[in-house]
Amino acid sequence: MTQRITIDPITRIEGHLRIDVEVDNGSVQKAWASCTMWRGIETILKGRDAREGWVFAQRFCGVCTTVHAMASVRAVEDALQLEIPANAQYIRNLILIAHGLHDHIVHFYHLSALDWVDITTIPNANPARAAALVDRVSNWTGNSHHELEAVQNKVKGLIASGQLGIFANGYWGHPAMRLSPEMNLILFAHYLQALEFQRKACQVVGILGGKTPHIQNLAVGGVMNAINLNSLATVNMDRLGMLQGLLQDLVPFVQQAYFADVCLLGASYPEWFRYGRGVANYLAVPDLPLDAKATQFDLPGGVITNGGLASIRPINDWKDQPIRAAVAEDLTHAWYVGGVQAPWKGKTDPNYTDFHEDGKYSWVKAPRYDGAPMQVGPLANILVGYASGHPLTRKWTDAAFTKISSVNGPKVAAADMQSTMGRYLARAIRSAMLSDLALKHWQLLTDNILKGDDTTFNPPQFPQHEVFGVGMHEAPRGTLSHWVVVDKGTFSNYQAVVPTTWNASPRDERGIPGPYESSLLGNPVADPEKPLEVLRTVHSFDPCMACACHTLDAKGRQIAEVKVL
Amino acid sequence: MKSGASHPRVSIVGLGNVLLGDDGFGCLVVEVFRCEYECNPEVEIIDLGTPGLDLTPYLHGKQLVVIVDAVTADGNPGTVRTYSESDLIDCRTQLRLTDHDPGLQESLAQLRLAGSAPSEIIVVGVIPQSCAFGEGISKPVLAATSPAVESILRLLRERGFECRKRRHPEQPKLWWIFDSTSTPGPARREPAAHVTGSR
Repeated sequence: MTQRITIDPITRIEGHLRIDVEVDNGSVQKAWASCTMWRGIETILKGRDAREGWVFAQRFCGVCTTVHAMASVRAVEDALQLEIPANAQYIRNLILIAHGLHDHIVHFYHLSALDWVDITTIPNANPARAAALVDRVSNWTGNSHHELEAVQNKVKGLIASGQLGIFANGYWGHPAMRLSPEMNLILFAHYLQALEFQRKACQVVGILGGKTPHIQNLAVGGVMNAINLNSLATVNMDRLGMLQGLLQDLVPFVQQAYFADVCLLGASYPEWFRYGRGVANYLAVPDLPLDAKATQFDLPGGVITNGGLASIRPINDWKDQPIRAAVAEDLTHAWYVGGVQAPWKGKTDPNYTDFHEDGKYSWVKAPRYDGAPMQVGPLANILVGYASGHPLTRKWTDAAFTKISSVNGPKVAAADMQSTMGRYLARAIRSAMLSDLALKHWQLLTDNILKGDDTTFNPPQFPQHEVFGVGMHEAPRGTLSHWVVVDKGTFSNYQAVVPTTWNASPRDERGIPGPYESSLLGNPVADPEKPLEVLRTVHSFDPCMACACHTLDAKGRQIAEVKVL
Repeated sequence: MKSGASHPRVSIVGLGNVLLGDDGFGCLVVEVFRCEYECNPEVEIIDLGTPGLDLTPYLHGKQLVVIVDAVTADGNPGTVRTYSESDLIDCRTQLRLTDHDPGLQESLAQLRLAGSAPSEIIVVGVIPQSCAFGEGISKPVLAATSPAVESILRLLRERGFECRKRRHPEQPKLWWIFDSTSTPGPARREPAAHVTGSR
């Protein structure tokens, strides 16, 4: 018997994702990803001053504000071939690192952990045993028996009150929930602790960005932060000390709690290294530039095709010509007018038709790289780094593999990373790397200032003719690129090719599905009324509409609809 | 923060997407309030856009949070209403902040469990006419700006937080809105004053 499940939230944060799957014998046979909200943002940017594009771009989305601001200024700088000072690179890098850590922490604990953690078993846990268990993988200070007991008591109180509130909607007791009560307790204790640490990451962004969300310190040509060690109102030793303190608080949580938790999760759910592979072409762009000219980067970029790490073609810097020629957006199955378009010539003219699975069915365009769909995100980031022998990537990836097998988990190799659990693990590995890099880039900034360099801005000069630029950023959800055409200082075209567009891509003119769609094939579904396993795989990509995949809308209506075909 | 920077005890938060017509009401109101009134450093005034769960850090440990937003409720567009936290829970089926309410509900629930929820939270809501992309704010909702600003003022004063009318009001930075706050018109084309790139 084939059943059709439609998961379609109505009112959710920043974008509405609908997933349709056909399930036969407990396994997904076909899948469609559809974005049900239109963003005409690009239309709004046309005709605007190129220096202020970033202010609008960071309102594309409420959660990923910083990344769009950054891609926008980089796009205009690329068009002008404008270098920015080293201090500006480091300040931007610190903001991006802190934003990335914040985003990854929130994704794991607050947006997706409860797909794996059943909080209703926590009252049955033995806190002493839980503390002993987690001690084997982590020396995090928040794991004491007493700490865990206190969390257990909070959960007992919550359950006894009968008012589970936001926790009422979980798939509690689902057969796919298989963690011991002790593991559930450990992960939920860190869920609560994570609230404090994501706040610290926000503070880092706020100190350098002037405000968060919506940083205020960017400019085409650098940053607006004034550096003066003798002034109270600028970046001075006091501010730098404050930043260092926050980063030093943040790093242990990421490396000892978050990283260890995901290793424990992987060890406990080994079968999830087999599901969810999907599109095995990967794209990552280099990021965290180390010099004014952006010739060296701390995160490597590259393209991997058909899952073979040996196939890697490195992308050494943002001037890479092949990527500029390779990216195009296919509109065959998207609600727009047009066929296949290069971003600089891209148009965003709506043509809504309702959901037709063989016709148009999504507001998301289908980006293609040399005609092929690509998966982007931390997994692409880690695979590219691993394939190119990047030392920091190797260090943390190998540490993860060792940790997983040390707690009776499966023997994981790089190939197993191409899976639902691999995407979780890659995000944790990337976070551990970013925490090392946070302290490194803080040091680079401090050393450069102490050397006497206080420049942060090179003024832009706009030519009297048309120029083309692309701004690249390896964002928390993957490769982000803004493509701009600037004519006499104003935008004559603007297209953003965002990570969720790559991953949530609909089919293309050849009928080839995008990463979400193909990752769901073969995914188990134990109970069609409660498609928890589908959510696990979709959430592993960290859809920008992550919150879109909860199971109830504001009026309490069940949103997973099942039809027998 | 480590170096003893002052911790605001009160947050006046504007929520909404400024590019979605009346949904940007909250951002507009907090900016107008900030420009017209001066508060002590214990009061933080901030436009948070549509942060979803990223709202959590801004609610953490506060004595009072006032949220200004568009709300979906029965009534005429432009009607301003205030809601307490219990209203938010009790009226959940009728009242819903446009689009991003799960962030508020879930942020609050997490903080309550972690023991750092705000002591009091009040929503100043406006009933929108239209939250469509790039349309700008509607006349009835624009006219609700002053009543909403007055509501914030009253809420703060009733609780003993000082607010002084600025002798020289600042010009609100409403870069996303149209020519001026009083005459919605075509989208502005000249660069906003604060982002011109000159220093």
